[in-house]
Amino acid sequence: MTQETGQKTLLPTNEDTTGPYFPIYFRDESLEDLTRVDAGVVGQAKGTPIILRGRVFDRHGNLANGVLLEFWQANAKGLYRTPETEGHTDIDPWFNGYGRLRSASGAYSFRSIMPGTSDNRAPNITVTIFSDGINRIVTQVFFPDQSANDADPVLNVLTESERHRLIAKHDGRTADGAEVYLFDIIMAGDGETPFFDDLQS
Amino acid sequence: MTTLGRQLSIGPTDNTSDQRTPRQRLKLIPETARKSFVPYVPARYVSRTHEWDLTRISPDRPRAHGEAIEITGTVRTQSGAPLRHGLLEIWNANHYGRYRHIEDHSGLQLDENFFGMGRVVTDENGQYKFWTISPGAYLARPDIGRWRPKHIHISVSGGSSRLITQMYFPDEPNNHSDPMAILMGDAFERNVGTSYETPNIDVEQGFRFDIVVGGRNATFFE
Repeated sequence: MTQETGQKTLLPTNEDTTGPYFPIYFRDESLEDLTRVDAGVVGQAKGTPIILRGRVFDRHGNLANGVLLEFWQANAKGLYRTPETEGHTDIDPWFNGYGRLRSASGAYSFRSIMPGTSDNRAPNITVTIFSDGINRIVTQVFFPDQSANDADPVLNVLTESERHRLIAKHDGRTADGAEVYLFDIIMAGDGETPFFDDLQS
Repeated sequence: MTTLGRQLSIGPTDNTSDQRTPRQRLKLIPETARKSFVPYVPARYVSRTHEWDLTRISPDRPRAHGEAIEITGTVRTQSGAPLRHGLLEIWNANHYGRYRHIEDHSGLQLDENFFGMGRVVTDENGQYKFWTISPGAYLARPDIGRWRPKHIHISVSGGSSRLITQMYFPDEPNNHSDPMAILMGDAFERNVGTSYETPNIDVEQGFRFDIVVGGRNATFFE
């Protein structure tokens, strides 16, 4: 692991498997629908509502039950809400960008808004998977028919077949106007989803 | 030397690890996209006031079976900065090794006074404290006689820090046959709590477990 020289560095606690029993009790519905901060208050995230849904599979094509999925994305104007962007005029006060859900079956459905294009990046959502048998794996999902996909630096480190695995499929629109995108994740084996290393890079 | 992404290892004798561990080497993130891989979690004060004490389901209920213990520590990032207002989500098996989770079908004994889940928020100095029941070890692979050693699951989130880990107990006979402990190698010792005496409080012993959230993400915005 690379460290800046001169910086005091402690040895990290090891990541460990989440195991099969991440408590359902910790569910937070406000993190499963990012189109609003809370269902009971006035204030909607700006942008096009989307539903990202799909299934998480293991090496044998079985659903990966009990997975914990986390999402991280920019707002409709392409801005992430971090300490760096505090006070920026493009921050949407009703959008944080961090989502989380636990899927008992391995199938998931996450409601959000379409992230904007930013700097050199095509619209994307970072997806982190925690589950039994692994510690943590990370990828990004992209959207079809986005002109910015062609120049996206993440998509461009992938082969043609790998790129296709990270681009969700459009699957119509719900009655209440959300665009639906399908994104299946294959954790291991044939058709494996490309995953990224945020420790070595 | 060219840096490569990690090739993840499969936990020995762990079927789920075999089914779910990516076989391809992880890909390096291009520098121009690196920042987008740093989720930033706003402070979440979702802990209820009694949730620091897992030894009782609520303050007016009896103590659960088994040995009541205290766990304390400080959460820091790798640079040494305390993680302030970080959320710890805690879960552990009861005295008999059973989780009160609807998907735990082990058939081990439940305890009507044990919930096994709690949440605490770190203070201004990154410190946390909770009480729980010392968890039972349980037979994870009856076919080969492999046990999961006593452990407490802890999930840490706050700012750009994110870690899901487990605290193990010192000198447990099953520690060294655990698949994930094997993968950690010598670094496993960092995940073992340190026992201390608790003469003046209503628990039988304490364990100090200081947590360091590693990786570049944790220090990205410092």
